[in-house]
Amino acid sequence: MLKWLKHFIEQSWLLMVSSFIFGLLIAVTYAAWQPRIEANKTDKLNNLMSALISQADRFELTLEDVPVDLGKGKIAKTDIYKAVSDDGGCLGFCFDAQGPGFADKIELVIAVDFRFETIGSYKVLASNETPGFGDRIQNDYYRRQFDGAPAGKLDLSKTGPADKIDDEIIAISGATVSSEAVVKIFNNYIEQIKTALTKEGMIGNADK
Amino acid sequence: MPTNKTISIGDTFLAGLWRENPVFRLLLGMCPTLAVTTAVKPALTMGISVLFVLLCSNIVVSLMRNLLKPHLRILMFTLTIATFVTIADLFLKAFLPEMSATLGPYIPLIIVNCVIICRAEACASKNGLFISIIDAIGMGLGFTIVLCILAAVRELLATGAVFEIPVMWKSFVPWAAMRMPVGAFITLGLMLGLVNLISRKKA
Repeated sequence: MLKWLKHFIEQSWLLMVSSFIFGLLIAVTYAAWQPRIEANKTDKLNNLMSALISQADRFELTLEDVPVDLGKGKIAKTDIYKAVSDDGGCLGFCFDAQGPGFADKIELVIAVDFRFETIGSYKVLASNETPGFGDRIQNDYYRRQFDGAPAGKLDLSKTGPADKIDDEIIAISGATVSSEAVVKIFNNYIEQIKTALTKEGMIGNADK
Repeated sequence: MPTNKTISIGDTFLAGLWRENPVFRLLLGMCPTLAVTTAVKPALTMGISVLFVLLCSNIVVSLMRNLLKPHLRILMFTLTIATFVTIADLFLKAFLPEMSATLGPYIPLIIVNCVIICRAEACASKNGLFISIIDAIGMGLGFTIVLCILAAVRELLATGAVFEIPVMWKSFVPWAAMRMPVGAFITLGLMLGLVNLISRKKA
């Protein structure tokens, strides 16, 4: 036993010592830069929310870690922010939403009105969709179709008038998978977020 | 007259820039070469990140080269490289968040960049600290310069700008294909052909 232990230590001491030192190095670096990384994420989220609801004076965290069923047993957690005007009224809600895209996960920030009746468009928080094709989900041409669309189930069509605002979204030519991914994200989140806000009695009350 | 040592140091440095350039001569690190060269800024960031990781891993591997067991060699290289890649990734997320988002998964993917593990195996594990540092700087600079040249050509033709500064005439019609993978393959292929032609003429 002692011989085996000696052999084990002789063979692996460098790996163990290195792992410890490297682990410590990463932990120290992470601890030093993590507040800044979190601040960057918050800044980006705030900027995107401000771009979506430009009349908002500030955004208040209303519900934290709301579970959203993404299907196939996957549960994601999201935070819901309330857009507050300078007189304290509620202008709408924003939340981050995610789902699988063509290349990688797509993360969106979605805005809805305070009655949760219409969508106020979206912004892309993170995406690695194909340049020139899938990344066109960030373009106004596609995003505009969501601006004012009913906050319910959306359908994707390959052809049709893209300037008509309704529950039918026209896919981006050459990027059907990415277009479909965005619509799926909306369909997954809108109903469940609405339910969560309804439970808290927060929908439709502009003063709340 | 230069000593053998100075020739060796100069040769080691210049090898990465031309004779053994990781992209043009060894065809290593193709993934970032093709993926992040849509514009000069991400290409430069990627190049500097690789240079940092290469330098740090070469230093560590060279320092522990006499302690390395043959069967743990690759594991130790990977562990070392992964540590410095994580640090580079955290740095970009903290100080250059927009660039970190642009580069996406390609920064963590430096871990599997063959240039770095190749230099750890071929140079740092067999040479002293000084030569390993010179090798890392030469190879890292060679990689960065090639990425920037490729990116400059692609950005110029795809957007009419270099470093986001417009340089083409007003009526220039951007070649959208240069932003896409096909643009990367065509540009790299033409450049490899050009490098081979120059090398053949030199020989």
